[in-house]
Amino acid sequence: MLGAEDFIEDTVRTAAEKIPGKAVIACSGGVDSMVAAALVSKAIGDRLLAVYVDNGLMRKGETEEVRGMLSDMGINYRIVDAGGEFFSALKGLTDPEEKRKAIGEKFIRVFEREAKEFGAETLVQGTIAPDWIESGDGVRDTIKSHHNVGGLPKDLGMSLYEPLRDLYKDEVRDLARMLGVKSSERQPFPGPALAVRCLGEVTSEDIEIVREACFIVEDEIMTASVSGKMEMPWQYFAVLLPSKSVGVQGDRRAYGRTIAIRAVSSVDGMTATYSRIPLEVLDSISTRITNTMKSSVNRVVYDITNKPPATIEWE
Amino acid sequence: MKVYVIDNGGQWTHREWRVLRYLKVDTKIVPNTAPFDDIADADGIVLSGGAPSVATDGGRLGRCGEYLDRADFPVLGICAGMQLICEHFGGELGPGGVPEFGGVTIDVRSHDDIFRGLPDRFKVWASHNDEVKTVPDGFETIASSETCPNEAVRCADRPIYGVQFHPEVEDSEYGVEIFRNFLNIIGEKKC
Repeated sequence: MLGAEDFIEDTVRTAAEKIPGKAVIACSGGVDSMVAAALVSKAIGDRLLAVYVDNGLMRKGETEEVRGMLSDMGINYRIVDAGGEFFSALKGLTDPEEKRKAIGEKFIRVFEREAKEFGAETLVQGTIAPDWIESGDGVRDTIKSHHNVGGLPKDLGMSLYEPLRDLYKDEVRDLARMLGVKSSERQPFPGPALAVRCLGEVTSEDIEIVREACFIVEDEIMTASVSGKMEMPWQYFAVLLPSKSVGVQGDRRAYGRTIAIRAVSSVDGMTATYSRIPLEVLDSISTRITNTMKSSVNRVVYDITNKPPATIEWE
Repeated sequence: MKVYVIDNGGQWTHREWRVLRYLKVDTKIVPNTAPFDDIADADGIVLSGGAPSVATDGGRLGRCGEYLDRADFPVLGICAGMQLICEHFGGELGPGGVPEFGGVTIDVRSHDDIFRGLPDRFKVWASHNDEVKTVPDGFETIASSETCPNEAVRCADRPIYGVQFHPEVEDSEYGVEIFRNFLNIIGEKKC
């Protein structure tokens, strides 16, 4: 990143000036929020509380992994279990924008509650450029409402501090490496989490399916990359489609769901090309998903669309 | 050197700003509704792309027309920015015969200015529904693709350039070089 050292120095100084009291930071464990947390923590120390919300939509083992990272960083943190609240908020919603907005609003309510208890007057977020660009504004179309932008109420009773607003992911990763933040190489994971990988209405059953499928995709791609069969994509995951199709399993008719595999290479998330995954790796993913998840999934497809015209996530 | 990015509401307006910043230029994003005085000290401007259809929704393109009339500095129009330049000087726009989203190969016809030192043929990234159907008098086409006849234009007697594709995104080949060439044009004019 251009001028990374100056950026760190300036941000720590500005954060100290802008945050006279206490602050909470919305922390998902991803590289953006962890870098924002590291910078602000340098500026205000224990006056910062990192809040991780377990929305019930996270990946397999993710909450425990993030707990470990936050402990290692040595900053104040709280893990809030709010899964039930999120599923209630999503009930009956099928439109992708409505789903994203419901999740964004729920997040902000949880942060408000935690901020009040901690006595914080500032909300820190790891918002980066694509978040506000794609969320739209007076002149820009809304491509998708990012949870940290589209869900913010007009009456937010705190001041907002977003030190990474003008940066892209590749620049944030550079900062993460300099600051020793562990999630520097973590793949991007959207704020609305698995809810946008479960097309249509979100149910806990469907989240279980897509969670397992995402785990298999991540595990197989990681294994293939480590053994030199392919390069690590920028982002790689599974999407649960709402349509059903016919199959045959051990001479019996099957009628199950479809998983789409998505893997892309990109530098900044603003354009992307689908990854040229070796067919043998796609084959391992497909066979493992349809064998181990036979009661729910009997078909796997690979998404070969670039951005544009598609976006990286499906919703 | 001051090169401002005029924001027509594009997804990649901020990318243009980033590319210019990385090229060590003094830059900022300016809304297209800003009075000309706000950009009068620029050495050059970039007119960004945007969602509005230039042909039917010109009102959303603010004062870009005024900037074009009053600018005594070089101008680079990108996507909707190029369409706006062409329409403003009398060209015609319309829906693309084949809209281009993602990768497209362009053939360069002139290497004199923004394509200086670049190959005859390379791959860029585009994202547009409309295109320039007729280039205005005093302008010429300097690049085309199989699906879009006017991928880049230049004005004969003023340093005004337009590209239908997006040199500011990572996936475009030679995007940074196109910006660097534009900055060189500005530099030569200043000397």
